[in-house]
Amino acid sequence: MFEQQLINGLTLGMIYALIAVGYTMVYGVIQLINFAHGEIFMLAAFLAVTFITVFGLPIYVVIILTMGCCALIGVLLDIFAYRPLRQSPRLAALITAIGMSIFLQNLAMIIWGSRPKPFVQSALPPFLRTTALTVGDASISWLQLFIFGIASLLMIILFLIINKTRVGTAMRALSQNRTSAALMGINVNRVISFTFALGSSMGAVAGIMVAIYYNTLYPTMGYVAGVKAFAAAVLGGIGSVPGAMIGGIVLGIAEALGAGYISSLYRDGIAYAVMIAVIIFRPSGILGKSTVEKV
Amino acid sequence: MNLTMKHALKYFVLAAALIYPMLSFTNEYVLHVMVLIMVYMVLAMGLNIVPGFCGLLDLGYVGFYGIGAYTAGLLTIHFGLSFWVIIPLAALNGAIWGVLLGAPTLRLTGDYFAIVTFGFSELVVLFLTNEIWLTRGPLGLPGIDPVIIDFSWLSTLINPQWNWYWEFIGPQPYFYLGMFMVAMVYVIMGRMEDSRLGRAWFAIREDSIAASSCGINLLTYKVIGFAISAAIGAVAGAFLARWTMFLSPDMFKFWESFLILCMVVLGGLGNFKGSLVGAAILIALGEVLRIILPALNLPTETRFLAYGLIMVLMMRFKPMGFFPSIATQSQKNPILIKLKKELGSS
Repeated sequence: MFEQQLINGLTLGMIYALIAVGYTMVYGVIQLINFAHGEIFMLAAFLAVTFITVFGLPIYVVIILTMGCCALIGVLLDIFAYRPLRQSPRLAALITAIGMSIFLQNLAMIIWGSRPKPFVQSALPPFLRTTALTVGDASISWLQLFIFGIASLLMIILFLIINKTRVGTAMRALSQNRTSAALMGINVNRVISFTFALGSSMGAVAGIMVAIYYNTLYPTMGYVAGVKAFAAAVLGGIGSVPGAMIGGIVLGIAEALGAGYISSLYRDGIAYAVMIAVIIFRPSGILGKSTVEKV
Repeated sequence: MNLTMKHALKYFVLAAALIYPMLSFTNEYVLHVMVLIMVYMVLAMGLNIVPGFCGLLDLGYVGFYGIGAYTAGLLTIHFGLSFWVIIPLAALNGAIWGVLLGAPTLRLTGDYFAIVTFGFSELVVLFLTNEIWLTRGPLGLPGIDPVIIDFSWLSTLINPQWNWYWEFIGPQPYFYLGMFMVAMVYVIMGRMEDSRLGRAWFAIREDSIAASSCGINLLTYKVIGFAISAAIGAVAGAFLARWTMFLSPDMFKFWESFLILCMVVLGGLGNFKGSLVGAAILIALGEVLRIILPALNLPTETRFLAYGLIMVLMMRFKPMGFFPSIATQSQKNPILIKLKKELGSS
């Protein structure tokens, strides 16, 4: 029982971590809570199903294609909604983000309808649902292994991009001080666009994973997942990428164990409660640095 | 001349609103929508205190609205209390929760505070949905008594034949009651804005560091503002409970918070009079879309698409709303502009 909950939680946590890095990177670079990030996650699931049913593409191609599409949506979102508001108060940008989130969610509702849909099972290899290995009483399915594998791979790639490449260095510079970064010759808008693209493509993979894992997709799925991933980002320390990864996994496990041992009714409540507790007692999160406001 | 025209228009609108429900061609549906507008007017004015006066984003206002509504509903069903007793009790409960949430979290700045309020309102909805023994959960809370004015004890003392007992049926009495509520909140808001309290809030909004160095206790004033705002939201909720006579957790989802925030932003952050206009515009727009959307074969929920778009466009082109608060208006004063120019050039 315990091992099974732990494994389910870990799977969920990997997915939260993938979404959370999108929040945390954008927050690190432009100090904006990108509420529409959850919607990109949702759009990814719908786009993937559309690609499969309309064009009949194989699942691996669909994942890559959806990542690309979502990266584009993320960049367009930044260019049209957030870029004009770079100099305005934070409140304006935050309200715009919520507005875009609601807009995208309702757009999906108009295009694909508001009823939950199943994922196209025929597009998936049939062995995914079978048990891969058993540890004690717990069984791990191939799907769960697949999610671990892809999520870990993406995290490593992300880590390498941020720490080893030129654009990653630029991103880190931007998160420290945007003005100085611009003075050093960094093209600020291009780096911000890249951040959005990177975060959105990670969120896209998470969206497809969730749709396959729960075998359901609906236009409001991005809302709950987005909030939980955001809670994960806060838990890990917003602005810190490794923090978001750890936060996601911790939250996923906390949620699975909480649902299993405390009350499954308050499943969603655990994320909110963790978030509020972290913000009250340690706003800088697990790995975040606390900032001192200078006059 | 301009001023008198403005006043005349104001009184004309007021008189028209007072007479309207009595006219013979009055439509029940229109009256119902107007009562709804009044509920949102109260909510928008109440919310304006936090983001408008204090400059803190509150994404969970609907939580207090829900607390007020369920407080009123449960007290009516289980204890049969009068509406006039319930209103202060609901306000008190709202304020208590406002203090409980505000006191530990208002030390936080901007985004963190917004997220805490958001999480709080989601927890309120979860509580209302899951604690079935208390709230009947998703089934909702039906059979709440309407508002009753009961002076029968007094009338029987004077003359046993009389019975001063009125039950509110139909939208007309609620229209006047709602109007009374809006007027009361309006007066309270106006007095607060001009008071020591209001000036402290504005100072915090404009520059919290400067405000605290002038001796304003930031946390105390923010908590007071948050609690008053919560109390006003709870009053609106109590009115809603006794008016619709039915409550369900679905009525207090996050979208409602966003809708109220839209009204505040549309009317101008920090201008509570603008909130009245914002509430009227958005609710009327919602009703119009409710008619148009099915005609276009779209689900009615998609009216939020329009709300989302309005918010994005407002922030882009008119971030201060249609009726910016006076503080911003005074920036357009020619003397100030001239002074700024001279200071800037020297």
